[in-house]
Amino acid sequence: MNFKKDSFKENITGYLFIAPQLLLFLIFLVYPIIEGIRLSLFRINYQDEVFIGLENYRRLFSDSVFIQSTINTVIFVVFIVALTVIFALFVASAVFDKNAKYVSFIRGAYYIPVMVSMVVMSMIWSFLLNPANGLIPYVARKMELFSVNFLGDPNWVLPVIIFVTFATNVGQAIILYIASMIGVQKELFEAAEVDGASRMQIIFKIIIPMVKPTTIYIIIMNIIAVLKIFVVIQLLTGGGPNNASTTLMYYLYNNAFKYNELGIASAVGVIMFLITLVLSIPQLRTMFKKN
Amino acid sequence: MFKKRFLAVIVFMLVLSVLTGCFGKESSKSNGSSGSNDEVEINVWLTPQWKGVLDASEEGADYDSFFKHAAEEFSAEYKEHKVKINVEVVAGDQRDELLNVNLNGGTPPDIFFESVFAMGDYAHRGALVPLNDIVDDEARSDIAQGYWDNVTFGDDVYFYPFSHNPGTLTYNADMFKAAGLDEYIGDEYEIKTWTLEDYEKILKGLKENLPTDKYSNAYPMGLFALNNQGDTWNLAYLRMFGNKFFDNDGNLIIDDAKGAQAANWLKKIYDDGLTNPGAESVSSNDVNAMFQNQQLAISFTNAILLNNAKADMESGKAPKFDMRLANIPSASGDPLTFTYVTGAAVFDTKDETRIKVSKDFVKFVSTDPELVKASKNGVPIRTSVVEEFEAEKPYFAAYSANDPYMFNFTGNVPGYSQLRQVLYPELQALYTGQKNGEEAMKSYQEKGNKIIEDSKANSVIYKN
Repeated sequence: MNFKKDSFKENITGYLFIAPQLLLFLIFLVYPIIEGIRLSLFRINYQDEVFIGLENYRRLFSDSVFIQSTINTVIFVVFIVALTVIFALFVASAVFDKNAKYVSFIRGAYYIPVMVSMVVMSMIWSFLLNPANGLIPYVARKMELFSVNFLGDPNWVLPVIIFVTFATNVGQAIILYIASMIGVQKELFEAAEVDGASRMQIIFKIIIPMVKPTTIYIIIMNIIAVLKIFVVIQLLTGGGPNNASTTLMYYLYNNAFKYNELGIASAVGVIMFLITLVLSIPQLRTMFKKN
Repeated sequence: MFKKRFLAVIVFMLVLSVLTGCFGKESSKSNGSSGSNDEVEINVWLTPQWKGVLDASEEGADYDSFFKHAAEEFSAEYKEHKVKINVEVVAGDQRDELLNVNLNGGTPPDIFFESVFAMGDYAHRGALVPLNDIVDDEARSDIAQGYWDNVTFGDDVYFYPFSHNPGTLTYNADMFKAAGLDEYIGDEYEIKTWTLEDYEKILKGLKENLPTDKYSNAYPMGLFALNNQGDTWNLAYLRMFGNKFFDNDGNLIIDDAKGAQAANWLKKIYDDGLTNPGAESVSSNDVNAMFQNQQLAISFTNAILLNNAKADMESGKAPKFDMRLANIPSASGDPLTFTYVTGAAVFDTKDETRIKVSKDFVKFVSTDPELVKASKNGVPIRTSVVEEFEAEKPYFAAYSANDPYMFNFTGNVPGYSQLRQVLYPELQALYTGQKNGEEAMKSYQEKGNKIIEDSKANSVIYKN
């Protein structure tokens, strides 16, 4: 008991230091989450709020656009995260032990798209792919190569969005992997060299296992980021054609701000929150394990 | 133990402060205020309409010039209160987002000036107050009944009509001449009416005979379905074979042979290469830009877009060509025509004084003989103003000649904003071949009627 009391007295400065942050956390994160859960149980219009239990969730699961949005979001998460991790591992493991200037160049080259606003990137892609007056369809028509509407063909629109998002995000993962690989103890590589290990063996038996924490971090962070994918959808396809590229976040935005269906939008928010929470558990577990 | 208690106290205080911050709303939540010193402050929002008080050529002309000028005059004249009027221009595509956020936060503007079709839902939701008490007989006789029908929801007038903006087709007469289609070109200030057979001949003639050296990468007609922007033209195309769109109860009836025929006609001209490619992912803005760059021979327009396009040509921003107007054709031979009525609405801010001042301001703006002249920037809604400017604006007579063929594209149904969101995905499915005309119209009708049904249940107008 005394020990606990002393320990608290000892830490009181620390608690005071985190108090402002805690306050902001409660106001801007905890309260909106609770309010979002509450709103998801109501039908809200300008004049009143009516408690309807789980009706909003029932409506959601019987809405084909919501189902389509969920499937699309899962497809985006799986493909974008997998592509990002595989490509970033490939690039980082190929260059991390090369000349420092060369590594800096590679890092810079891949990181530039990360620094450019997603809005700007989406507009540039739109300029390139617009079927009526975009550059790529125009050149393709002139050269009589192909006539595909990359943004309007249901079979092409998902791969295009996956590629655009992947190309914009992968720089971050490459930077993290290179930093992590540079940190791997040199003795391990020297020992592998002495044992006559090939480059592939070094990558698969040493580098990949040693950068596992970075991989977990990149996977979790990318999953959370891709779950919230919005700008590229809004600016490139508007969720089309025929909702083929709608995502959960875009569906939420439409309901909240265009249709004024705050109850439905809150229910989508709660579902997204739960998905993110479940997906974050592996990372939280590794963090607690470390401690 | 002490630690637990201390933490509990801290957490309790924090939660209390959060709740105090969130629920301790001031008695008056709204942006403006009517208060102690008898000064009443009201907020006027508008989307970009026209620049200047009466004309864009005025020095420093901007979208808020008219309302700022009107506010000054009103404040000087108004006897009942000292009035401060704040004018704010909001982007048209952010209108619903801004209004929804402010309505839910209890801070709506006092007055919103906008096209009625985009604002009708707010009347159904009970967010607007009726304006019957500020409409007098003089206004009723000067403004045609058709426009009053446009702004009446249930039994009440919710918007004071100011001007209107008729939608038509526009064509590049130079491209017509280059394709040998001189016989179909109307007079300079005529809104040409073609039969559907003529129209099909024109599209084919443009595709086959337009010289590619002069007009490379050009297509006969603009078609778009990326989003809901410009969807009124798509609604008009769906009426081409005589479908009435809404029944007397305000439900969609597009799922019949005539509706499907219209949808299939659109798909056919698209497949035949008579329109720009990729309609499913092209917006009306793209189409408008393509027309201005002479990549399309026929496109959509309205009175304001026409003025802007001509101004762009004059200033050298866009290539100059002979731009003329035509009606949307129909199988019956009668033109299809619609208009966007613009006017001011007053929001229910729950503050009687502000609502009274807002209504008085709306009446002042909509009836003052000098201020109503500004409606010439679109097409005036008042017969008296049309007559005054007829000689100066030759299109006014042509627009008036279209009046008998006008249809009310919203049907004033509740949930119209949401209804717009379910049309373009069906058109996208049509153009990408996922659905045929029958399937697309059936699906649109099912989804649309569900929205209308839900919105009726929440509509204060249908409840009363």
